[in-house]
Amino acid sequence: MKFQISKKEGVTSLTIEGQLDALTVPELRAELDKLVDHTPPQVDVDVTNLRLIDSSGVGALVSLFKRVRAQGGKVEIRGLRDQPLAIFKLLRLDRVMGGISRPAAEASKTSKSRA
Amino acid sequence: MGPGVARERSSTIGIKLLGILEHRDVALRAVSAACKLVAPAPHGSAWHEFHAEVISAVGEAFNNVVIHAYQGRSDGMIDLRIRTEPGRIRVDMRDWGTSFDPKSVPSPTLDTLPENGLGLFIMQSFMDLAYRPGRPNLLTLTKQLPRHPRTAAPPAEGPT
Repeated sequence: MKFQISKKEGVTSLTIEGQLDALTVPELRAELDKLVDHTPPQVDVDVTNLRLIDSSGVGALVSLFKRVRAQGGKVEIRGLRDQPLAIFKLLRLDRVMGGISRPAAEASKTSKSRA
Repeated sequence: MGPGVARERSSTIGIKLLGILEHRDVALRAVSAACKLVAPAPHGSAWHEFHAEVISAVGEAFNNVVIHAYQGRSDGMIDLRIRTEPGRIRVDMRDWGTSFDPKSVPSPTLDTLPENGLGLFIMQSFMDLAYRPGRPNLLTLTKQLPRHPRTAAPPAEGPT
């Protein structure tokens, strides 16, 4: 699992690649704890290259979502596909967390067509 | 003999692994490869959904053994047996750790956005599950590929 965090103009971007599971999630959780302490109001999570997620990985993202929301912020997850999309659909996270199931490419197409 | 013919046979794959999270990826790679034996390529959307669901369920089963049955022990063994037939997969996972009762695990309330307690729910949602506690404990996960020509009525049209 690889991840990258960057901050720009009030938006934190988090990119996660590879496998987010019980083995790899502790490393990400530590960074998410730091991120939530000093978080800008919006966190964009790009999972376009996330190949696999398990319930531990979902738990970390849901925890991030809840903590940012409690501070009045917003988390948007983009690029879900294949196995991660199947898990998010089953757990109805695409319904609860708005815009969660829009692939990054589709989201960008939509915003372009609206521009 | 073409690859399609070879993949239409039944097969059994057996692997012994340590019950540690570092071995989870090995188990899932074997199960992922076995899913390709269930139906010949090219694989359509039904197979991709089948594959995602099988990988998800077996991954959670493996986590459960490591975290709950062996509770952090690093010397527990997992015996994984994967049986494939045309249109169907069966995964038997044996462990020698602490047993559990699937009926005693409460279903998660999804609307409350739970952060844990989702593993068994994912397993049971994606595959048929049977569990026999003992020495060893035996968890069996099975799944049928929807619309496979050997297991269901053929689709009206092929992919366009």
